[in-house]
This record gives sequence, structure tokens and C-alpha cells, in this order.
Amino acid sequence: KMSGRRSRSRQSSGISEDQINDLIIKLQQLLPELRNSRRSDKVSASRVLQETCNYIRNLHREVDDLSERLSELLANTDTAQAALIRSLLTQ
Amino acid sequence: MGEEKDYSIKMRLVAFPFVNKKKKSSFLSTSFLTPHLFFLRPVPFSTKKTTTTTSSSSDLSRRKRRKKSPPSPPPSLEKWRSEKQQQIYSTKLVHALRELRISQPSPNPNGRAVREVADRALAVAARGRTLWSRAILSKAVKLKFRKHKRQRIANPALTQPVIATGSLRSKKQTVMRIKAKGLPAVQRKVKVLSRLVPGCRKQTLPVVLEETTDYIAAMEMQIRAMTALLSAVSSPTEHEEEGQTHVLVS
Repeated sequence: KMSGRRSRSRQSSGISEDQINDLIIKLQQLLPELRNSRRSDKVSASRVLQETCNYIRNLHREVDDLSERLSELLANTDTAQAALIRSLLTQ
Repeated sequence: MGEEKDYSIKMRLVAFPFVNKKKKSSFLSTSFLTPHLFFLRPVPFSTKKTTTTTSSSSDLSRRKRRKKSPPSPPPSLEKWRSEKQQQIYSTKLVHALRELRISQPSPNPNGRAVREVADRALAVAARGRTLWSRAILSKAVKLKFRKHKRQRIANPALTQPVIATGSLRSKKQTVMRIKAKGLPAVQRKVKVLSRLVPGCRKQTLPVVLEETTDYIAAMEMQIRAMTALLSAVSSPTEHEEEGQTHVLVS
């Protein structure tokens, strides 16, 4: 029943409340903070969205940090080249 | 309509600077980007739903053909969690990083440059099926484009079709968005979220949510891959690296 409604909504570009709730629940499952809360105590959409923004910002920060460290490695020419090649070979 | 033609021609031209710049393995670098450059051509990526407004007839038929096949939801998140996908991404990343070093020998590439390379490789790994990946790739193309052809009038022609249609569509869909989740708090947060995820600034709530789930899964894989790469690269030469990192930290 639910999937039928979903596919119909997609084509007619009407957005149902349920469809959105499903997406929010799906999103909640991805968040480390909220993943473990039981379905009985529903987390509000607002909370899920807030946590999502925080989480994405954290992820961005991690990637920036990793990028910074990788760039430092690249700056050390010979060791980096050799190591990069080695890492490719050992995969 | 003439503008679209120019748009497509300019997009094709952009591929060439890529070919000329890199000496070795140019095949590899262009093979990443050209399929996606052409993918970007037909319709700017505002919505998946309406297609009739901007495309020329040939593009429209291509778009239509794609739509006729089952309305495919974006690929499942499992793809980002597979070991194989991480391997593919890691390889792409290493190649791209090496090219980065070759193309920028004198000013050593900084974190920002590495981040952009990593994001671009990630977007390529997404195979152009999501808005965020296409947005990342087009951002890179626009930057290169402006750098090489600053004088050309082509620039406004490039950006205008994208912006114009985007704002038109967002007006129509604001009504939908309010109907869906009327709470102002939720609206605000969705707006913030849409700014965080590339390519989602003028998208409806369900689109933003879908893109977000895929984007998060992809970023998590990116982090795993980069971490693994860092540890693989730093551990074999640990005695040397250690000395260097100490210098950097202190």
C-alpha cells in the first residue's frame, strides 16, 4: 500500500506527509546520535534535521582535516610518491 | 534557444583544457570527467520532475527516454558501504592526488586543493545520479572555465539558464513545501540543510532529504577511504614520517 502511494506521488509530483515521514525516519537511521532510539518514542522531524546538519558539518570538518593531512604528506615528495605507489600495489 | 546550443558547445570545449594540461594518464583524467560533462549538458539540475521548459528537442527526447524507464529512485545506500566501492574510490583518489602533485609542483597543494580533488573523485564515483554529485562536478567545471576564458561573453550565457530556471521552479514548489511540513522550525532547518548539501539550495523537501541520505553515506565512505589511505601511506615509513609530523605539530 505504502509503496503504491509513493510511486504515484512521484509521478504526479504531489508530496504526501507519509512520504516525508518515511524519508525522515530513513535519515534518522543514518545519524549516529539518533540511530538507537526506539520507534515508539518518535524523534521530531525538527530534531532529526538539526542532528543531520550537525552531522554533516562534522563530516565536512573531518574531510577537511584529512585533506590537510594528505596535503602535508604530498608535500614530502619522495616518501609520498613511493608510499602512494606502494599503497596502490598493496590493495 | 540559441543559448542552449552555445552552452553545449562551450561545455565540449571545456574538455580540451583538461586534455592538454595533463601529460601522462590524460586518458584517465578525462575519462572521469567527460562523460559527466556531457551528462550535465541537457538540463540544469534543478528538479527531476519537470523537463519541458529548457531543453532543445533532442535533449528532451533523451531526457524523456530516461524518464520512461521505471522512475528509478537514487541508488541504495548499500553501494557506499561496500568494500568494492571504497576500493574504486581509493584508486581514483590516489590517481587524482598524483595528478594534482604533477600539475602543481611549486606551490605545494594545500588542504583546500586536496579536499576539492577528493570531493570531485567522490562525485565521479556517484556516477552522476545524484544532484549533489552533479553540483560538485559542475562547480569544478565552472571554475576551470572561468580561469581559461575569462574574457568571453560566454560566462553569463552559461550561468543564466541555470539560475533563471532554478528560481522559476522554486517559486512553484514553495507552496508544496509549506503544505508538506508547515512548521517554521522545520522550514528553517531544511533551508540550512539544503545549503550544506551541494546542489540542493532550491530543492523541495523530499529531494533535499533524499540527497542528504546519499550524501551522508558517500561522505562516510570518503572519510573511511582517506583515513585508510593516510594510514597506509604513513605507516610503512613511520620512522621518517614521525619526525616530520612532530615538526609540523610543534
